[in-house]
Amino acid sequence: MPLQRLFGDYQLGSFYDEMFSAPDVPRPHYAKIFEKLGAMMPSQFEERRQHADLSFLLQGITFTVYSDGRGTERLFPFDLIPRIIPNSEWQRIDRGLAQRVVALNLFLQDVYGKQRIFADRQIPRSLVYSCKHFLREVIGIEVPRGIHTHICGIDLVRDSKTGEFCVLEDNVRTPSGISYVLENRLVMMRTFPDAFQEYEVLPVNHYPAELARILRSLSPRGGNDAQIALLTPGIYNSAYFEHSFLAQQMGIELVEGRDLIVDGGIVYMKTIHGLKRVDVIYRRVDDEFLDSLTFRPDSVLGVPGLMGAYRAGNVALANAVGNGVADDKAIYAYVPTFIRYYLGEDPILRSVDTYLCSKKEDLAYVLDHLPELVVKAVGESGGYGMLMGPTADRDRIDDFEQRIKADPRNYIAQHVLPLSRVPSYDPAHGMIAGRHVDLRPYCLYDGEKVTIVPGGLTRVALQEGSLVVNSSQGGGSKDTWVLFGEE
Amino acid sequence: MMLSRIAESLFWLARYIERAEYTARILDVNFHTVLEQSKDKYRLHWDPLIVMAGEEERFRALYGEADARAVFEFLAFRQDNPSSIVQCITKARENARTIRDYISREMWEDINSFYFTVNRFNPDEEMAAGPHRFCDSIRFGSHRFHGVTDATLPHDEGWEFLRIGWFIERAEMTARLVDVQYHILYDAPAEIGGGDNHQWMAVLKSVGAYEAYHRKYHSSIEPEKVAEMLIMHPLHPRSIRFSMTEVQAGLRAISGTGAGSYANEAERLTGKVLERLRYDRITEIFQLGLHSYLNDMLQMCGAIGEDIARNYFYYAVVA
Repeated sequence: MPLQRLFGDYQLGSFYDEMFSAPDVPRPHYAKIFEKLGAMMPSQFEERRQHADLSFLLQGITFTVYSDGRGTERLFPFDLIPRIIPNSEWQRIDRGLAQRVVALNLFLQDVYGKQRIFADRQIPRSLVYSCKHFLREVIGIEVPRGIHTHICGIDLVRDSKTGEFCVLEDNVRTPSGISYVLENRLVMMRTFPDAFQEYEVLPVNHYPAELARILRSLSPRGGNDAQIALLTPGIYNSAYFEHSFLAQQMGIELVEGRDLIVDGGIVYMKTIHGLKRVDVIYRRVDDEFLDSLTFRPDSVLGVPGLMGAYRAGNVALANAVGNGVADDKAIYAYVPTFIRYYLGEDPILRSVDTYLCSKKEDLAYVLDHLPELVVKAVGESGGYGMLMGPTADRDRIDDFEQRIKADPRNYIAQHVLPLSRVPSYDPAHGMIAGRHVDLRPYCLYDGEKVTIVPGGLTRVALQEGSLVVNSSQGGGSKDTWVLFGEE
Repeated sequence: MMLSRIAESLFWLARYIERAEYTARILDVNFHTVLEQSKDKYRLHWDPLIVMAGEEERFRALYGEADARAVFEFLAFRQDNPSSIVQCITKARENARTIRDYISREMWEDINSFYFTVNRFNPDEEMAAGPHRFCDSIRFGSHRFHGVTDATLPHDEGWEFLRIGWFIERAEMTARLVDVQYHILYDAPAEIGGGDNHQWMAVLKSVGAYEAYHRKYHSSIEPEKVAEMLIMHPLHPRSIRFSMTEVQAGLRAISGTGAGSYANEAERLTGKVLERLRYDRITEIFQLGLHSYLNDMLQMCGAIGEDIARNYFYYAVVA
């Protein structure tokens, strides 16, 4: 039988394997793809892989690495073996995420508005006010239609012990990656058309239209002819491809800060026939760079005076300014509280148990157990400012111990999560092996309902044994299939 | 409605592609003409190319003497020559990248693969093989990009900025080509190249006008007629007159101006240039002096480019 060729001596390891329930026994929803892959010669697979890579390269779906001083464009590695989620499991994720997004939005409305949650003693005011991304400048601003969290990317992981999806972190500022979801699907359909014939996979390509609809609905002038722009930091930003992709898909203008000007509290674009008013800005520039008159004075990426226009209600921004307080890693521990407090519901998706070093008893536990824990700086993202206890050497652990003692508020700790694995192709060995994955679904909120494109971005740590899925550290991605049914 | 920044990027995108194609054409044809010549004329044949590119000083500093290999490397591959073909394509792609939401997906994929193709060439191998293969792929790449653009981008204002960029660059390159060749060949004594028809044949071939010349003039190659053809031919797509007619059409489409009037300095100057190109005779031009005539023309092209930038690209907000 050539059946096992690509799979070689595939090892399940001690992790939850999403394809296999036991050695050589695929779970029902993976059975057909397992059979298809098993029947393929490695050379046939390799050929399709190169075809897919070429297609990404030609479209310029690359990110830029500046390590060599010249700026090299690299492909975000794409793994051809899809990650499959049966419908019933997805339904639960979908409900859990929607619940979470609504609660986060209510929290942001509250902390930048009436602040009932402090009066009701659900969370210490000092914890919120000491968040790096809590912005006093935003207090009292009434955002259009009360929406702060238009676009959220919420990172989920499957715990190997229970096999259950839980929330690892919330990204409610300017989450990126949706363009890979859409492009991965396109390339996958071109490369493996035969696999799609055997599955009923829910489509994802309605995302840009839904986002455009929400952006349009925010226009302070109302009506359907709102002028919408996507504000990008420019071609040197690592997510520039996504910015141009989304602007094109939505048919809106892609602008840089220098294309905009604020005059008399109104935002305008500089066009060849004069100034044109802008109503809605989908901004992919961070808060602190948005307006040099309000935030960092050295920023050239934003638009001087933009916050004035925003405060006056003359322009809508998505996402709202100041959202970073809601995805702070210390605030994360309170999201279940928000869900109970604002919605009167039990959280559908579990959060990961989190020790807040700002609490005395948690701090003591953390300092005693550093070699077993993951420690994270609260205001950081993208895998920066992290200690992986089990793999760190003594010096690094000592270093973190000092840092935590010096500034306990800035750190949280969690137990190391044994992430689930999905079979992935290892080009160096020409074989398929288990690799750890996470999942980032993208949630759109229009003030009434939350729309989530089925699936999201599956990131995969392509290095053997690695738990780090970030693209800057050797991560890749997979097409994620949510099935119409169960298999 | 079009952002000024997008208009500017389109304009330069087109100019860089055109510059790369023109340079490739001249390089290729010159190389093959030289193959049929005796060695002592080398210098004569390669110098004009460097002068045309406006990079004489840089070239001398790097190489000293001009020979086939040095000129090829300099014009095709050098990273430190901002007008080299590889640099032009790189800058064209950079411009396309900043406006990739505006241009069609096909255009982006095309210029992106053009860029990768150009960068995959190994300079040492190509210099050993001679420039034909390389230049051919540049010419083909440029034509393909024209075709893809024409077939996939709406012919709206953005398309007009591309058109203006393409043709103003072409007008300038043709003017420089004629000027430099005359300066060096026509004014030179016969024994070092004056009256050398091979070089004129090369000029015609480099702009793809060799066959058209014979259809029009039914005569041997005469320098005045070559000049007339390249400067004033109403329909040959690389003549200065044809190019400026396209520039005028583009400018008028953007501003909505009708024939007989002008909306800005760029349109006024374009109209003035075209009057001369339409109604002067080649004999009058030679009496006036070809060099000063072409020099005037180049200066006006420069002024047109500056005024386009002033009107459409830069933004001075009056408080």
